[in-house]
Amino acid sequence: MPVSIIIQLIVDGLAMGLVYVLLASGFNLIMTVPKVLFIAYGEFYMLGAYVLWGLMFLGDVPFFPALCAATLATAILGGIVYRLIFQRIQYMEQQFLTNIIAALALSMIIAQAALLAFGTEARGMPSIFPGIVNIGGITISVEKIVLVALTLAVLIGLNIFLQKTNSGRAMRAVSFNADVAALQGVSANMTCLATMAVGCGLAGFAGGLMAPVFALSPGMGAITIFVLFVVMLGGIGSMVGAILAGLILGMTLSFGQFFIGSGLSQILFFVVIFIILYFRPGGLLGKAEADIPI
Amino acid sequence: MSSILEVRKLSKYFGGLAAVNQVDLDVVDSEILGLIGPNGAGKTTLFNLISGFFPSTSGKVIFCGRDITNLKAHNTAQLGISRTFQASTLFMKLSALANVFTGCHLGYRTGIWKRVLRMPPALEEENMLKHKAMELLEFMGLASLRDEMAGNLTHGQQRVLGVCVALAANPKLLLLDEPVTGMNPSETLTMVGLIRQIRDDRDITIMLVEHDMKVVMNLCDRIVVLNYGQNIAEGPPAEIRKNKEVIEAYLGKEGAK
Amino acid sequence: MEKPRRTYRFKRIDTHNRKSIGIIVLVVILLLVPAVVHSPYYIHLLIMVGINAALAMTFIFLLRVGLINLSIAAFWGIGAYASAMLTMRLNLPFWLALPAATIITGIVALIVGLLLCRNSGFGFIIPTLAFASVVVLVFGTFDVFGGYVGIVNIPHPEPIVIPLLPLIEFTSKTPYYYLMLFLVAVVVTAFSAFYSASTGRAWRAIGLSSSLAESLGINLFRYRLTAFIIASAVCGLMGSFYAHYYSALVPITFTPFPKTIYCHIFAILGGIAFPFAGPAVGAFILTLTPEFLRIVGEIEPILTGLLVIVLVLFAPGGILGLLSSRQQVAHPSESIDRIGKWIKASLPTSRTDRENRK
Repeated sequence: MPVSIIIQLIVDGLAMGLVYVLLASGFNLIMTVPKVLFIAYGEFYMLGAYVLWGLMFLGDVPFFPALCAATLATAILGGIVYRLIFQRIQYMEQQFLTNIIAALALSMIIAQAALLAFGTEARGMPSIFPGIVNIGGITISVEKIVLVALTLAVLIGLNIFLQKTNSGRAMRAVSFNADVAALQGVSANMTCLATMAVGCGLAGFAGGLMAPVFALSPGMGAITIFVLFVVMLGGIGSMVGAILAGLILGMTLSFGQFFIGSGLSQILFFVVIFIILYFRPGGLLGKAEADIPI
Repeated sequence: MSSILEVRKLSKYFGGLAAVNQVDLDVVDSEILGLIGPNGAGKTTLFNLISGFFPSTSGKVIFCGRDITNLKAHNTAQLGISRTFQASTLFMKLSALANVFTGCHLGYRTGIWKRVLRMPPALEEENMLKHKAMELLEFMGLASLRDEMAGNLTHGQQRVLGVCVALAANPKLLLLDEPVTGMNPSETLTMVGLIRQIRDDRDITIMLVEHDMKVVMNLCDRIVVLNYGQNIAEGPPAEIRKNKEVIEAYLGKEGAK
Repeated sequence: MEKPRRTYRFKRIDTHNRKSIGIIVLVVILLLVPAVVHSPYYIHLLIMVGINAALAMTFIFLLRVGLINLSIAAFWGIGAYASAMLTMRLNLPFWLALPAATIITGIVALIVGLLLCRNSGFGFIIPTLAFASVVVLVFGTFDVFGGYVGIVNIPHPEPIVIPLLPLIEFTSKTPYYYLMLFLVAVVVTAFSAFYSASTGRAWRAIGLSSSLAESLGINLFRYRLTAFIIASAVCGLMGSFYAHYYSALVPITFTPFPKTIYCHIFAILGGIAFPFAGPAVGAFILTLTPEFLRIVGEIEPILTGLLVIVLVLFAPGGILGLLSSRQQVAHPSESIDRIGKWIKASLPTSRTDRENRK
């Protein structure tokens, strides 16, 4: 087994894994701040890809502005959706289940709208960053390098945002306790809205990034379930956990696809998740839940 | 006089911290034993260990001659240990009667299929248990509230109901966790009377955790004092009242004259 | 045990009679439907409503125990595929395959449940989702199950022979309709029996406060496992029926998103305080509406999605919740409440937020 193939698989796994990390981070934000189990998340990923494609091919917009536009569009849509739907649900009883139902209904709407607008066929995009680079005997496509670089940049930026800026701190405060945050002058509603926007924007960004790499189809939203599991595996709310789990998924899919085929590797991933979550329901880095009487 | 419960060198560590540290104590049959100590002394943890809600790190718990150390909560309940909780724990969406009736769950003797198929012996038993639940409510003075949703009761009523539900499980040993906390003086008086009645009329051994010293001194036959998870004193109220270590534990070294 | 001093009156009577009459009327109407409705298309819809209603009932069944089950569609699929395999590979007659598939589904639920039911809350929900995803992948990946193309030509049930009556053959949709009614009736009866027995009370106790239930001698693991097995076996039962009714199976029918969530929607939008009427009403409205909306063509899923969102926002107790004032006793289970409290931590008490807007 030539080393170069292994390295290739690692690079692929890294690239895929980082995208999952990106998506998991956005999903994590939505789960910890407004606390919605947002199963329409994959649809925003899909929208980002299509917006990019549309702008680049129908509008002749260059890549980077189109990427920004895709991110912005999904972010705005996320904010609107939060304000109209999920903010209302927050004040009801039974939010957990209601959120899931509303999110599913939303995903139906968006997926069908995309289908009507773009048709059922998968579309490809010609490569934006063609060419390959040779590093010490290993060939890596420029595309992947750009992907990894941009993803890392955004992840680092997200981290800085959450740790250092006022808005980021507001988000973390609200995720713990909105009343206490309110004492600091933080509006929980606005923060949750902003968080939803940021989360969905991240999904759109990831979609835009992946559009040139994979084929586009309205069914791209199916990625949601993988994102959900990456988040659960890493522990809800844990950034480091999301990184670990995302990379695990990326590697499993990359190596699995090569050795045992994509179907079996997906099964393998879910079985591994099942086992890990059985022993540590809080995820790899979350706390193992203890049933303590009140 | 035999010991219904024997605790031998019982310890519980959370990480490196000992919440309960080598505790030895005996609960005598038919007595009312008080468990006191400053906040965080490990009293509720001890209850959790005895009743099986927490697994212990080391040590033994023997109930009626039987080693129950690592039995889980539902097992200890089946053997005859009932408990109440520090925070009012009830089936809030059910009526008071339904709460107590659910508590009678251990009283079923007919087979499970007979119950599901609604056969006459099962229905009779159910009726009998419902009557038992009603009687318990009367005994505790809650008969008028039988159809009220538990969540709608006042705090005092909820705590009495909590004891009533624990009684429904037919315990030999009843662990009461802060039964009168948050009650006004007249409610406290009622509860004290009820606790005494439970021991006197029904011959149930009672162990209670409480911060209200008047109640403890008044009600308990003996008292055990915990501090930092350790048993620092044991004896009748008169002795405990004068015990220097106990006073130190509560008031600090300067407070003990 | 001494005889009680007095006999207490436990209320019930009048509502009981009214309910019985209502049920009888409903049953009569249901039995007479094929006499009035002749179009096989509508009969088909009603059959699907029945299947969906039964699946939604299992959701509420487990919700009462405090468990949110995301593997409803998966067990539905296991029953369907098992039944198809039994009849096609082992040549079992349908009437044997039906109970056999149900039992097989129950056994799978037992094995999975041994692991799952030790936890509650997220520690249960997410592994059910993982399991559900694996099931669909397994059906699609391995050729023995027909892969993503699926299985076709599943045999119809053999005719029923009743002496002195003509043969009941399963050539039109009507016999399937009656079989569906029968199966749903069995499910409703079984669930009712459990709910009103001590087992049902123990389940409800676990759902409302697991610590209190445990302190009263209820073995949480055993009761959760039993409930999980029963609920999943019912899903398998409906799966077997579905396989031989529809005659074809594709894995994508049994995915957790959206099918299982649809089942949740049926129950919640019907009204979770109503363990039988809620799922029935929810399944009825939300199975039929998309069909009728199909007239407008391809935007139907968008309209249905909007309908669901509107209902969810403006009818929180479900449709039946709007019509009746019954308190939601069935649902608020402790583990879901805990999740709700966790969510509420993100909410300001509305006063503080308004003050912030100054």
